Amino acid sequence: MDTMLTVDQLGKSFKEKKIIENISFDVRRGEIMAVLGPNGAGKSTTIRSIMGIMYPDEGSITFHSHKSGKIPRHKIGYLPEERGLYKNVTILDILLYFAELKEYPAAKAKERARFYLKKFGLEGKEKASIEELSKGMGQKVQFIASIIHEPELLILDEPFSGLDPVSLELFKKEIQELAKNGTAILLSSHQMNVVEELCDRLFMIHRGQKVLYGTIDEVKKQYASFKCVIYGENSKRVLGQISDVQRIEQEGDRSVLYLSQNLSLPAWLKKLPETVDIQELVIDRVSLHEIFIDIATDKSTMQEAGERYA
Amino acid sequence: MRNSFKVAKWEVKRNIKNKSFLISLILTPVLFLVFFTVPTLFGDDEKKSTATNKVTVIIQDELGVYNEIDSIIKQQNAIHWALKQTDRTEKEMVPELETAKNTVFVSLTEEALAAGKINVWMSEGANANFLQQAAVIEPPLRALQLERAGLNSEQIEMISQRIGFKSIPVKKQAEKTEPEPTEDPMKKLVPGAFAGVVLFSIVMTGMMIFQSASQEKKEKVAEIILSSVTPADLMQGKIIGYFVLGLTQVFVWMAFVIPLIIWRFDVPIFNYLLVPELALLLFIALSGYLLFASLFVGIGATVEDISTSSNFQGMLFMLPFMPFIFIGPILSNPEGLAAQIGSYIPFTAPGVLLIRLSIMERWPWIEILIALVILTASIWLFMKLAGKVFQTGILMYGKNATPKEIWKWMWS
Repeated sequence: MDTMLTVDQLGKSFKEKKIIENISFDVRRGEIMAVLGPNGAGKSTTIRSIMGIMYPDEGSITFHSHKSGKIPRHKIGYLPEERGLYKNVTILDILLYFAELKEYPAAKAKERARFYLKKFGLEGKEKASIEELSKGMGQKVQFIASIIHEPELLILDEPFSGLDPVSLELFKKEIQELAKNGTAILLSSHQMNVVEELCDRLFMIHRGQKVLYGTIDEVKKQYASFKCVIYGENSKRVLGQISDVQRIEQEGDRSVLYLSQNLSLPAWLKKLPETVDIQELVIDRVSLHEIFIDIATDKSTMQEAGERYA
Repeated sequence: MRNSFKVAKWEVKRNIKNKSFLISLILTPVLFLVFFTVPTLFGDDEKKSTATNKVTVIIQDELGVYNEIDSIIKQQNAIHWALKQTDRTEKEMVPELETAKNTVFVSLTEEALAAGKINVWMSEGANANFLQQAAVIEPPLRALQLERAGLNSEQIEMISQRIGFKSIPVKKQAEKTEPEPTEDPMKKLVPGAFAGVVLFSIVMTGMMIFQSASQEKKEKVAEIILSSVTPADLMQGKIIGYFVLGLTQVFVWMAFVIPLIIWRFDVPIFNYLLVPELALLLFIALSGYLLFASLFVGIGATVEDISTSSNFQGMLFMLPFMPFIFIGPILSNPEGLAAQIGSYIPFTAPGVLLIRLSIMERWPWIEILIALVILTASIWLFMKLAGKVFQTGILMYGKNATPKEIWKWMWS
């Protein structure tokens, strides 16, 4: 896949405080890339720097071969986290205005606006003002506004916040379709299950610095070990005797065992003591959600479990 | 710059379609028309009623001055008499007047002339002001009285002439040779007033920039727009857009007002308006707009909710009205110290200059030049500072900026 956007050694400070530091990643044509991180981690600052709304103090951004300051912004679509629309103007007028700002031909924009309004269940609402629409409908219009000009790179800052499950599915499907058609997508989200399902790669920032970068599988492999869920009546003492268990969480007859990294699963399974009551056993990698919580709360699952049960 | 025009076009389009703007655009000249024409309509009624209620003035003319009186009355616009001549005497006429209405009988006899007392018999409904109006026929009667007294025509003319007082201002020796000013005051006043209307209108619509920037921040649209255009483009676009809206307002108003003035007062307004001086006056008006627009757009970007903004932001709206402080001193002395000071303060300069240049016969070119240099430099500085404030302020969500923060952004 061609690299469309390259962020290299990006850094930005406010007053004396470093907001982001040494941020480097790339986004490729046709892929969905996630930027993750807890609130205040520096995601929006990174995105705003890419969009040229903020000026980074260090590093560079390259879109195709265009360097910062010369990036053709009409080839990029953007849905900011803090978003809204003009209240007393018709939806079609707003969409056409945004298309005009992106130098997209009016006739084509009108056609696309109508197509997407229909696709998102807003047919016949062209002449309605945003005040007349529900919040969800408003979000759909905002999404249409970000893609009306057929951008090559689409940046979505928290696109799923506040969406109902039906709209969420619609957005996911549309994002996947755009990527399939070659659009490079960079999105930030706090919904880890969606990211896990949708994204090809991720970049996680914490306190302005990179903590994770790679494909979902690579990240899980690199950062997270397996977890074993056992249903059965077991005491923590018995489970604590199992080798390579770093932490145990118990709730009724459900016990979750967080295992050490780089262990061989078949070998570990063979070593399970006879005394363990197993009604049901599930082995899975730790979810992205758990990795996120771990990083955001500065808690290393493995270390904690190791200290307690080693 | 292309993006600025796109923003400007959008601002114009969105406001032109806005009902409240349209209402104010049309309603203002309509109200003006109403205020202008309604009193005139009443005035016409008054005219009509006076025409129909013309007082009938019957004159017994023993003295042979009827024709002279008739021509005097015809020259008086404010006096509406229906003159009639009669040979009948007082004794015959008075009983008739008992039943008549709005009729006056004036007995001009030799006896009355000699006595210097002329009887005026008034019927029911005759106006009490009649005696004041009757003073206009006094000169021919006085002349006749003097003639009867034996004076020749030269003497009569001399006595008839009133003694008048004429004021002659003492001027400096150097100025004595100058010809008396004979220039028509309208020549300066009309273009000045026009530029004043332009300034007022564009500054008023300029205030809408504040609202527009603040609203864009509140409705969180700014970030989407700024992903396509630079903050400078957005700011310039707003300034240009509201300038066009202001001018549209002026044109619509003028389309109503100019024909009305021509019709009512028969003033050749275009002859007065289309003069070279108008260019300078309009330049001053435009400068005033740019100065205030930069202020409004910059500070507008710092306010999300006008109702909770500090007094500091509210004070800004007072600035365009500052020239009114100087109106009294300027009218009494357009070349005085107050007028000069007002010309050099950027916020008051446009208004003060327009007032001064509208009433001064000779323009103080050096002062104008200094004032314009100060004004242009101020516009440059304010635009720069507004740009910095706008850039930071428009993306700050959830609160209004404090004056301290604004100060910091300006010099960052």
